[in-house]
Amino acid sequence: MSPGTIANQIRTLRFLHGEMSQAELGQRIGLTRQTVAAIEAGKYSPSLEAAFRIAEVFGKPLDEVFQWVKTA
Amino acid sequence: MSYREKLAWLSLVAMAVTYGPYFTLAALAPPTTALPDLSRLGVFAATALSHMVIILVGRLYFMARSPEDARAPADERDLAIERRSKTTAYFLLMAGLIMVGVVMPFTAGGWVIVNAALATIVGVEILRDGLIVLGYRRSMA
Repeated sequence: MSPGTIANQIRTLRFLHGEMSQAELGQRIGLTRQTVAAIEAGKYSPSLEAAFRIAEVFGKPLDEVFQWVKTA
Repeated sequence: MSYREKLAWLSLVAMAVTYGPYFTLAALAPPTTALPDLSRLGVFAATALSHMVIILVGRLYFMARSPEDARAPADERDLAIERRSKTTAYFLLMAGLIMVGVVMPFTAGGWVIVNAALATIVGVEILRDGLIVLGYRRSMA
């Protein structure tokens, strides 16, 4: 199993969507603002369902929002 | 800080300021009379009541400060942190119950067993709340 981390473009996508706040994004997908912040910072990996919901809010395919980055 | 992390901190502080003095008293001046020791029961009742009041007042304060957060249901990260904390605390609960219910009746009696049972419950709560706080601090689940 190769080590890696999950990167995301949520901060950029929020900016491109009228500087959408973390609270607003959280409200639209049923997560708290703190959880959105943790996902954005890469400190919490969301469930597959939450990841799809986030992508849906931004109108992007999943792999444009989240990427698997190999670290070794 | 999330609403549920605040509740975990509240629970930790409430445990420390109520059951901390109670167990300190139990260790420094163990009750010598046989059960029931009404004065010691009174101390325990006051401890339990103080704990309840601190939790109640704290929750009302946090609800008043952030009513939207208080109304919001736990999300997947909250539930994951809670589940992991409970799973770990369960093992301490099992170990404590085996000590109190299986081992200690052969080696101790009365207040020692009572306080060991209480210490197990308090210890499990502290571990659970501590792991919840740690889970939120590390932001992982």
